[in-house]
Amino acid sequence: MKILITDDEELARSRVRALLEDIGDINIVGEAHNGKEALNKCHRLNPDIVLLDIRMPGMDGLETALHLATLENPPAVIFTTAYGDHALEAFETNAVDYLLKPVRQQRLRQALEKTHHLNRAQLLALKQADNEDHIRTHICIQRHDSIQLIAMSEVIYFLADQKYVTVRHTDGEVLIEEPLVSLEQEFAGKFTRIHRNALISNAFLKGVEKDKDGTHSAILRDCDERLTVSRRHVAILRKKIRAMGK
Amino acid sequence: MSSHLKDLATSHSAKRTDDSLFLPDFCNIRMVFAVVMIAQLLAFILVLGPQGNQTDRWVNLSLTSLFIQWVALSSIGLLCLCRRVMKHWENYLAGIISYLLVLAVTIILSEVAYIMTEHKGLHTLLTASWRSEFILRNLAISAIVSAVALRYFYVQHQLKHNIVAESRARVQALQARIRPHFLFNSMNTIASLTRSKPALAEEVVEDLADLFRVSLTDSDKPVTITKELELSRHYLNIEKLRLGQRLTIQWMLEDLPDDASILPLTIQPLLENAIYHGIEPLTENGTIIITGRRVDQSIEFTISNPVPPYLPVTRRNSNQMAMANIRERLLIHYGKKGLLETGHSGDRFVARLVIPYVREKQ
Repeated sequence: MKILITDDEELARSRVRALLEDIGDINIVGEAHNGKEALNKCHRLNPDIVLLDIRMPGMDGLETALHLATLENPPAVIFTTAYGDHALEAFETNAVDYLLKPVRQQRLRQALEKTHHLNRAQLLALKQADNEDHIRTHICIQRHDSIQLIAMSEVIYFLADQKYVTVRHTDGEVLIEEPLVSLEQEFAGKFTRIHRNALISNAFLKGVEKDKDGTHSAILRDCDERLTVSRRHVAILRKKIRAMGK
Repeated sequence: MSSHLKDLATSHSAKRTDDSLFLPDFCNIRMVFAVVMIAQLLAFILVLGPQGNQTDRWVNLSLTSLFIQWVALSSIGLLCLCRRVMKHWENYLAGIISYLLVLAVTIILSEVAYIMTEHKGLHTLLTASWRSEFILRNLAISAIVSAVALRYFYVQHQLKHNIVAESRARVQALQARIRPHFLFNSMNTIASLTRSKPALAEEVVEDLADLFRVSLTDSDKPVTITKELELSRHYLNIEKLRLGQRLTIQWMLEDLPDDASILPLTIQPLLENAIYHGIEPLTENGTIIITGRRVDQSIEFTISNPVPPYLPVTRRNSNQMAMANIRERLLIHYGKKGLLETGHSGDRFVARLVIPYVREKQ
């Protein structure tokens, strides 16, 4: 059984490692300090089980689990937590296994025996229970040889084109296969719809410009491209710029 | 439990802003009944007093009652209408205006009553005195009675307010206690160290015991600054073990007087906040800077932490409670001389604590 340990605290990792070694017949393929590292290591090392701490800086355990579930060969997930995450309630109803820290060896053994893979429905339920406004901090893109994570704070805009959505970020662009509507819902408040096919980051929004032919376009920081703003979105966008100027 | 407590606390504070006006709601039927009863008692008292014409006592009572009820009900009717406006005012202003309103009602109704009795020929029954004397007498009675009533309402309001404030403080004190998350994380640290470094595990247990000894006592008696700083160091020792190189502490203390006193658990919760909001969610390593110095007759501490670019929603709530609790305790103990400010300085979050230099009593 191949296991990956993920926790941002070294002492927490070393304790779980010690417990696992005591249980025996387990191959600890690696340790990860955070969600990003866990995703990359899972992709590379293909563990059967990932022990995942819920509270981690950057990308937390729940979001990591969501991204893990999209892997081609997703590992089973066992969450660990110290106390009082309200996601715990969701675990109980969704039969997802979690361990309370300090972890008991017997509980760990039980959890390992009955591990099962999370299905997407369970994960979505978890996500909702965790927080109504839980939004991804990263966009995860899988290639057959690697995983790419783009921080949401670096995304400049989403531009839909038939089946795909282009994610333009500070370091280039990638294609994803998510509908623009669901992106708009998830990142409402941070992103603004400016056209039927475009969603732009408020953080990168600099202004609106009117061209000679009367069409409006959005000016974005760190980006030379101009995106067309449809007529019915101009007023909303102007209001937003004014509010930010305050 | 903590979210439940928070609900309690917010409902308390909501109640307070709603009821900051000391005047009760006179539209309330129970209030109307009470006022009618009091007015009637007043009428009895006035009629029972020595009077020239004994035979007219019953007639006198009915007329006096009628008049007093009239004044009382008109006054509370008016106050009821004005309450909506006055509830945004300061208490003293609302008090003065209410008082003047009642007096005005008394004068106007006295005038009306005088004219009416003249018409009905009841003039001699009600009073034989001159018109101005009649009005002045009514005004004097009304002035005394309404002053007493307003004072009563004020005292009762203060009493209620204090009870609410006290229970709110108690709820906050409960919340301000060390976060359960910290307890369980520390337990995990101890469990881990017990295998690898038993001596260190022992130390953590000792530090943890000291922290909880202080946090579980009910008293809020000041301690020496040295003691509070020692407690803070115990706390930071534990967190340092858990977070490793992610946490760096920089102490910058300049000639703090040894005998200065401070409320227990004022600096430690600020450090806990700094770690919880500034270090834990940070993907890189971070530094907490603590400064402390004496400025004339006060002592000033600042605690600053880096601000992580992204803060999960779950972490945002708890900050305010710990701060509010410290503020309330500072206010109770030091009045306006105690201060806790927070703000951003560059890319860091800074909490500044100022307390008066009070020597620890031996």
